[in-house]
Amino acid sequence: MLPSRLSEISEIPDIMLDKVVQSVKNTFSSISGEEPALVEQVHELQPMNGIIGNIAVFNHEHTLSMMLAMPKETSVSLSVKFVGFELEFDSDDIGDLIGEISNILAGEVAMNVETIGFRGQSSLPTATRGSDLSLFLPNKPPSARLRFSSADGDFWLYLALYESQRH
Amino acid sequence: MSKIKALVVDDSKIMRSAVKRTLDQLQLAEFEYIEAMDGEDALDKFSLEIDIVFVDWNMPKMTGVEFSKAVRQMEGTSHIPIIMVTAEKSMGKVDTALNEGGANAYVTKPFTADQLFTALGKYIDEDGNFKLGGASTQKKSFFKDMLNLK
Repeated sequence: MLPSRLSEISEIPDIMLDKVVQSVKNTFSSISGEEPALVEQVHELQPMNGIIGNIAVFNHEHTLSMMLAMPKETSVSLSVKFVGFELEFDSDDIGDLIGEISNILAGEVAMNVETIGFRGQSSLPTATRGSDLSLFLPNKPPSARLRFSSADGDFWLYLALYESQRH
Repeated sequence: MSKIKALVVDDSKIMRSAVKRTLDQLQLAEFEYIEAMDGEDALDKFSLEIDIVFVDWNMPKMTGVEFSKAVRQMEGTSHIPIIMVTAEKSMGKVDTALNEGGANAYVTKPFTADQLFTALGKYIDEDGNFKLGGASTQKKSFFKDMLNLK
């Protein structure tokens, strides 16, 4: 599905984007009971006060890097659905939560992109919390920035496709 | 009445809490929880006193499947149920966990009480008792009607 050299493509293929969008809808509806809607593809994310979950689905050829960007209000609202009560935004638990949601999303993405020939595994998640957060993608890989709307608030998913490091 | 010793292994504290909370909601038994944050930590805390294991797949240091394989290589562990609780969803992963890893059941995250109950079905007798390790571990009845589960 993907050329081994990504310099041959400038964008993430639509078929892969569709699978990722479906994965986001499945993941968040299974957590909160309501399916988020894809609002638009955006060119850049405005600096945000919130938390970003980082994870990748990768194989020996390619790495699909995913950055789940959530404003403070969205992440706190989602915590009620996931753990049954409101987590403090400044707590370690909110990082744990967004990391775990990223992990669940990556599992769903891995399952769905396998159906189009991308067989990969998930990395471990990390989470970054802060104010005035901006995301940069060095080397301009094929990428997409998706804005979703949900009952818990808006959130964004940044995607970037890289050639995996070979040793 | 003795409590069931459940080893709950996940690098996410939130998920360990979710497993414990859901098991408590199900009221299958009274549990004593032992928590571990990765496969290595779990191996350190594992003993033949453990009645059941709930283990994540994707963890630092040692994965859930590696942990499960290591446990199955120990003598006298074949009767201890190992339940994989993981975000890995592809059929290949399920197959690996059950056949190569020696896990007994597979639950994908996020899970509901109903899904966890279904995964544990073969360890629950007709009266709703959790049957682990024989008569000595007969536990508290499960209030199926109250929870509206099959």
